[in-house]
Amino acid sequence: MTFEKLLLFLRVTSRWQQRLLSAVRKSGPDWAFSPSKPVRLPVFFQFTEPKGGLKRGQLAGMEEYQNGSEGSFNSEEAENVVKEGIESVLGGDDYSQTHVNKWTAAVVERCLTQLVKLNKPYKYIVTCSVMQKTGAGLHTANSCYWDTSMDGSCTVRWENRTMYCVVSVFAVCIA
Amino acid sequence: MVEESDTYHIRPNHRLKFKPAVVKRYIHDIVRERLSDMQYDPETVAELTRSLAESIKDKVKTAEFDRYKIVVQVLIGEQRGQGVKMSARCLWDADTDNYADDVFMNDSLFCVVTVFGSYYY
Repeated sequence: MTFEKLLLFLRVTSRWQQRLLSAVRKSGPDWAFSPSKPVRLPVFFQFTEPKGGLKRGQLAGMEEYQNGSEGSFNSEEAENVVKEGIESVLGGDDYSQTHVNKWTAAVVERCLTQLVKLNKPYKYIVTCSVMQKTGAGLHTANSCYWDTSMDGSCTVRWENRTMYCVVSVFAVCIA
Repeated sequence: MVEESDTYHIRPNHRLKFKPAVVKRYIHDIVRERLSDMQYDPETVAELTRSLAESIKDKVKTAEFDRYKIVVQVLIGEQRGQGVKMSARCLWDADTDNYADDVFMNDSLFCVVTVFGSYYY
């Protein structure tokens, strides 16, 4: 790969980079290997290595476009999914002993199917608690033994006039 | 914990699987020991829930389920005659992963503990 093609591959957009590219073009192909026509590089032109080091087969300066935020669990995304799941099931209802079994099952199932649709390499554990509002207090605590860089959790609290709903999502990375 | 060395084990040995019965016994003992004479007190219960989760997690770690990730969830609520329903669904490998739970009640509070174990391939 010639130097010119490499620069093009970097999607050169800024002005000084464009000037560099035109300078390279003027000097002809394979300029790097012709000592009679050196091109002076701007001092501040730097190749930066992508985070995590170079992958095999990758040249210095190539950015990893496809592997952006895929590392740890994205809890905002999960939170949105869960909120929408709860709202769709419990939306405008009042607490009812006869229906609560069905509701909790529907909330967890809906949240789980939506989370699976995100297509991430995670195993999910979704728990949902629905409690009637009588002025009683409720406390939840989680303790997890896992890989903190890859795994994560998110808890969503929701309420309406007659009940509270607490949904916790734990995402555990596969390998 | 899960050392980054690759063991290439796809399944744990049958004897080393997450055993719900064993874990349930741990939960049962710890919860009864800590909560049997406890009254619901809004100031202290938050700290109590946290510390209960930590101690159950530490106890399950001593059981040495190798290459298992543990998630412990503790729910403590006041007893005021209200209705509560808790459910859970998991997307995991049913052969290797499992859970254990226990419920404790006295006249002033109730406590639900769930422990999930997920194998790290």
